[in-house]
Amino acid sequence: MAQPSTYTTDGAGPVIEAKGLGVKFAVNRRRKRSLREMFIHGSKRDPNAEGDDFWPLRDVSFEIAKGDCVGIVGKNGTGKSTLLKMIAGVLIPDEGDVQVHGKVAPLLELRAGFNDNLTGRENVYLVGSLHGMTEKQIDERFEDIIDFAEIKPKFVDTPVRHYSSGMKVRLGFALISQLEHPIMLVDEVLAVGDKAFKLKCYAAIDRMLANERTMVLVSHSEKDLRRFCNRGLYIRNGSLALDTDIDSALEAYNEDTKAEIAERKKRDAAKKKRADGDKNPDDGKSEGDEA
Amino acid sequence: MHAAVRHLVFRAKRTQPLEVAVASRALAVWEHRKVVGLLVRRDLKVKYQQSVLGYAWTMLEPLALTMVYFFVFGVILQADRGMPPEALDHGGFLLYLVAGILPWTSFGAMFGESPRAMITHGKLITTMKVPREIFPMATVGTKFVEYLLTLPVLLAFVVFLGGTFSWTGMLVWLPSAIVLQFVFGLGMTLFLSTVNVMFRDIERMVRIITRLLFYGSAILYPAHMVLQSDIPEWLKTLYQLNPLLGIFQMHRAVWFAGFPELTPTTIALWSSVVGSFLMLVIGYWTFRRLEMSVLKEL
Repeated sequence: MAQPSTYTTDGAGPVIEAKGLGVKFAVNRRRKRSLREMFIHGSKRDPNAEGDDFWPLRDVSFEIAKGDCVGIVGKNGTGKSTLLKMIAGVLIPDEGDVQVHGKVAPLLELRAGFNDNLTGRENVYLVGSLHGMTEKQIDERFEDIIDFAEIKPKFVDTPVRHYSSGMKVRLGFALISQLEHPIMLVDEVLAVGDKAFKLKCYAAIDRMLANERTMVLVSHSEKDLRRFCNRGLYIRNGSLALDTDIDSALEAYNEDTKAEIAERKKRDAAKKKRADGDKNPDDGKSEGDEA
Repeated sequence: MHAAVRHLVFRAKRTQPLEVAVASRALAVWEHRKVVGLLVRRDLKVKYQQSVLGYAWTMLEPLALTMVYFFVFGVILQADRGMPPEALDHGGFLLYLVAGILPWTSFGAMFGESPRAMITHGKLITTMKVPREIFPMATVGTKFVEYLLTLPVLLAFVVFLGGTFSWTGMLVWLPSAIVLQFVFGLGMTLFLSTVNVMFRDIERMVRIITRLLFYGSAILYPAHMVLQSDIPEWLKTLYQLNPLLGIFQMHRAVWFAGFPELTPTTIALWSSVVGSFLMLVIGYWTFRRLEMSVLKEL
């Protein structure tokens, strides 16, 4: 594969550089607004137009060196996936910038690009080419891909719409893990498939990492994180709270989670006490229930 | 391919000068021309593979419509009275209709699909780093191929109905019609595909506007009839300001060159040229303006 020339002078300098990264979402404003709404409310009389910007991530800076495997931990909705998307270059930051030296294999949405009306074979060629593989490369690896994805031969030339969702995801993983790009971004995809397939995925990732490749992994599975990562970024409330080894990052995260649970319990207890007074049993809304 | 180049290209948007930004972006698009090709091929494959008769079906619809319109407008309403009598020997009203309706089918389809050009590729756009322009470009590219596929049918009509061949038609009107139609189409697709992500009801509006433009662009009757009628002068000017009027008159002038009634007027000519390129500029500007927000919404 063509190596990027001037920037990656092997090992010298980081592969991924993020400087003061921030992204802003406008709540209420512009979000999924229909024209009708715009005409009715007008653009001026939006009650909470200003000061309603929400920064899922702000002022995040880090550098990732070649060969690193970095795990990103944090609660749901703290911008982990957003961060990954900015590294992948599919989301443009509002502040700061991120430089990535080398091509990126995005294991983010494994079914991306599959067209339901095309066969498995056609989809492999299409998506592989979209990611920059040549036809020859795909020819050479086609058997491996199908084999890895455990697609039975009779399904190879069946339209993908007849595949089970598991089959599609497996095919996606099998294909994208064949990319030889130096940087891999992985978002929670290791949760796919049955046990046997998962083991194969682990082996594939181990193989890729052994190849001096850089990986950024977002996951809620401590086991996965500890297994692959040598470094951890802990993101809390939209900013980078810790940049250490993975164990310390997970520890800090667990600590905070524990503190939060204790806090919530206290609040619930207080609420219950109050609710007992006026008999109103609607406390079925415990939101964040991740591991 | 050339990661370093692409890297520079993506960085360049921050360095201010507009021409540089546009040029480097164009370079990035050029580097990804293969992806455009892949998407176009995929769309065509899906479309024509759906049924065994693939191509025949896509031609059948406009032809059936042509028959209906010929009956209603030609026979009942006698819109062919707007044609110069000599033109009737060169293919007549039926050729006039076919030569307008066939390019319109691909244009109308492009218009109809353009609002979804980004949305349908949402997953791809949010996982793959490519210049985002290539998705609207792929939609336009597909329609361009579909347009080319209508040409054999049109030629069959020309031969069958005794249309005439002329150098002016082939070297002036045909290339201008095609270039302007797709320049306008690309601008429109860039514009609508991004705006529709922000305001999802654009899609419904487009359906109505397509209908209006179909009748406003003199597909079913010679524009001459409107210009000869006794509506106020300002309305006639407004009518000719529609860039599509000129473009579709060009499509017909290919086969009816030399008939002043059937060639675009000066106003129509200029508004189609200026209008098309203006649409492209507006479309591209809007696309780049909204790109960041669109990525967040998808």
